[in-house]
Amino acid sequence: MIVGQRKPFDEIKSYVDGCQRILVLGCGTCVAVCMAGGEKEVQILASQLRIAFKEEGKDVQVDEETILRQCDREYFDTLKDRVDKYDVVISMACGAGVQLAAELFPHRVVVPALNTTFIGIAEKEGVWSEKCRACSNCLLAETGGICPITICPKGLVNGPCGGTNHGKCEVDKNKDCAWTLIYRRLEGQGRLEKIREIHPPKNYKVQTTPATIWHAAYREEEA
Amino acid sequence: MRAKRWVRYTKGLLKEIGIEPERLEMFNMSSSMATAFAEAVEEMTRRAKELGPSPLKRKKEAA
Repeated sequence: MIVGQRKPFDEIKSYVDGCQRILVLGCGTCVAVCMAGGEKEVQILASQLRIAFKEEGKDVQVDEETILRQCDREYFDTLKDRVDKYDVVISMACGAGVQLAAELFPHRVVVPALNTTFIGIAEKEGVWSEKCRACSNCLLAETGGICPITICPKGLVNGPCGGTNHGKCEVDKNKDCAWTLIYRRLEGQGRLEKIREIHPPKNYKVQTTPATIWHAAYREEEA
Repeated sequence: MRAKRWVRYTKGLLKEIGIEPERLEMFNMSSSMATAFAEAVEEMTRRAKELGPSPLKRKKEAA
């Protein structure tokens, strides 16, 4: 999932100072799971804003709404008629959701409440770690399901480097060496010969920005 | 442990908006610990008196 973290309150508030009507818009998918931008977090931020404005003696309307996904147009349908009455929409989605909201409501200011951080997994309650850099050229079949592009700070496709030290990384002693992890995984699977395979330099050409992909079933129809 | 974390987090939320985090506290006790309960109530009463009215109320009174 996409993992995000809420921005500091003062930063969010600075985006909306001077506004009279504010909509705090949550996203019910990835950022809800990582406790950054779901319904509960919308309630918290909206309450904080209401209290902060009240403290300043300002009469500001702060409304709350959470849609299932801010990265799909159809989920915004229920909001279309309502958004015009707000001066600003605070989107608690990832960067993709914020941009779609801004695209769908071009006459309204849409601001982010989160910093989108990475694609990752939940390690335990309240802890997430990065697992994928969305490089468009997945190597996991060769590396025992461990991504050296993400886990190795150097992104080496042929490792380990000389800096591996008893399974830890020279860049950060607290972090595991990705290639040691790969070695152990392949060893456990009885596929250690895979580590001897030399991978060609990674094809970064396929990692275009901004990327657009078409599902194979739809490609022909649009062509 | 979970509640303790969330109380600590909520104290941070209060601090962010200028409300004294000391207004919120969690005390661990069982239902039979009457003395501990009374002490916790006294502590929170003492804090409330020391801190005075909430910033929201102070603002309202000043207006």
